[in-house]
Amino acid sequence: MRFTYFTLSVALRHLRFGVGQSLLTIGVVAISVLLIIYLQTVIGGLQTRLIRNTTGAIPHVTLEPAERAPIGAWRLPQADPGVLYVGETVNLPKAQAKIEDWRIWVEAFDKPEAGFTAVSPVVSGTAFMFRGARRQSVRVQGVIPARHNKVVDIESNLESGRFVELVSGEVAMGRKLARDFGLKMRDKLRLVGPQGQTLSVTVGGIYDTGFGQVDDGLLFMTQRDGQSLLALGTAVSVIGLRVPDIYDAELRAKDLEGRVPFKVRSWIGDNPNLFRNLTSQSQTSNLILVMAVIAAGFGIASILIMSVTGKFREIGILKAMGATPQEIQTIFVVEGFLLAVLGCVAGVPLAIVLLEGLANVSSIGPDGRATPVFDIEILPSVLLGASAIAVLTGAIAAWFPARQAGSVDPMQVIRGA
Amino acid sequence: MPDPSPVIELEGVGKTYVSGAVETPVLFDVSFRIHSGEFAAVVGGSGSGKTTLLNLMGLLDRPTRGRVCVQGAEAGQLPEQERARVRRDRIGFIFQFHYLLPEFTVLENALMPCRMRGIRWQAQQVERMRALLDLVGLADKLDARPSQLSGGQQQRVAVVRALANEPALVLADEPTGNLDSKSGRVVFDLMRSLSRESGTAFVMVTHDENFALETDRVIRIRDGHIVSSLPNG
Repeated sequence: MRFTYFTLSVALRHLRFGVGQSLLTIGVVAISVLLIIYLQTVIGGLQTRLIRNTTGAIPHVTLEPAERAPIGAWRLPQADPGVLYVGETVNLPKAQAKIEDWRIWVEAFDKPEAGFTAVSPVVSGTAFMFRGARRQSVRVQGVIPARHNKVVDIESNLESGRFVELVSGEVAMGRKLARDFGLKMRDKLRLVGPQGQTLSVTVGGIYDTGFGQVDDGLLFMTQRDGQSLLALGTAVSVIGLRVPDIYDAELRAKDLEGRVPFKVRSWIGDNPNLFRNLTSQSQTSNLILVMAVIAAGFGIASILIMSVTGKFREIGILKAMGATPQEIQTIFVVEGFLLAVLGCVAGVPLAIVLLEGLANVSSIGPDGRATPVFDIEILPSVLLGASAIAVLTGAIAAWFPARQAGSVDPMQVIRGA
Repeated sequence: MPDPSPVIELEGVGKTYVSGAVETPVLFDVSFRIHSGEFAAVVGGSGSGKTTLLNLMGLLDRPTRGRVCVQGAEAGQLPEQERARVRRDRIGFIFQFHYLLPEFTVLENALMPCRMRGIRWQAQQVERMRALLDLVGLADKLDARPSQLSGGQQQRVAVVRALANEPALVLADEPTGNLDSKSGRVVFDLMRSLSRESGTAFVMVTHDENFALETDRVIRIRDGHIVSSLPNG
């Protein structure tokens, strides 16, 4: 490539002189850039929302007590004397389905080298909630609020009261459950556990996360209260973990399996269909992206091939006058590059206007709240990435016609008019 | 009288085109010199090899045998890049079909070789080109596009363009061949006078015997051989 005043001025003049062709190509590139940005933002936003809705209220990875555990050989009935059975497992009784040594594991997973962003030991079960003559079955989670808030963000979704600073004798619940049960802040209620343990509590926090699993029929309380209500002693039911990259959850779960004496589950393993759909959606959108890029590339290449063919004599004369093949190539690569850059200059603002328009579209949900139809976050990285792809495509698409131009033989052109 | 150093010298130059197993010799053992300020005509029938000769002199092609020296230095066998540089700096071209760049104005076209050399249009060069375009009667067409000019006017721009870098040699390939006799005469007279004034050597391939006889020397070529290379008058 030889970027000289000569090559740049000829390239610019070609574009200016063939303004109709240039505008057409710029339009093709602009639409491709628009399509890339639109797909990345809208489909990306949709996926983010789906994943958030699925994972927002749950830990990415859950450790549960193993349902089956290896059994000591000495405990096996020796039906056939002289034969030692190995690898035998036994179903654990329900009462054993708890984690006693959770402190050790929490400490271990807390270490930065473990690679988890949050660890929350949770006491989990069902209880009955009484208020006057009313009774309702609810799910109960006894948590260390400050820890659990890092797994499921309740604090920032509080409508009133508190969560992180929840104390013994207080519960936090979703707005819907409070409304259904006619409860407001500081109201008292009675809870009865599965084995008859009772607990009197007051409403210490009401939140609205937007996640059904958390907002409906779930009560949060301190770990200690949960343990006494569900008669778990000092044990917990599960340990919830959050990973930095949610797509890594299944890999991390697989990695933990066999290394910890628990049943390890990931949100991906629990939602295989959702994950499959997200993957196929990503592949479809990537396919459309590739098509858009190819269309833009062909647009630039075809316009430049036409331009080179139409300028055969001119190229021949320039070469006869002393232009080197590299200079001629540079002229056409610069043209392709400039067409792509101008396409981006037109396409990026168009995409921003379109996306901002879409961001304002909202619909009224079943709960009467207006929610945006599209989750749109215009990321500079997407704008820059789409522009970079378009410019690179322009340069590559221009390369072939440029080589064709560079190899024009002036002798054949000069006499062949 | 000592022979002044030639602008271009051909020594035993031959050219054979090879296409597969077929070899076609088109030029045999051509030797001559062109000196500064000389105006020579190359005359010959169709297929006589005069275009091949011009291509070799203009370093557009490489000879199969012999040497082509430009201002004393062997240039015929240089790599393409180097030959392009010698062409750009020392040789001007005028073609039968003037081939001006349609996107550029008359003045810009005339200045194109300067641009190629990487010289931005300095006032001095612009003035020189303006003066030359004025000399050829195009003072009022400086900002016109080539498409707005007649064939004769375009060829006059091409003549001025060939002189932009003040070359040692201008090669003209039937410069009047595509013009009516009146315009052809204007262009020929122009080249003749510019050659005299600037001291630039001109070699013109032509079919027109009348023009040939008005040059300093006629190089006659037949079947790839120089049959005569005599001064006129």
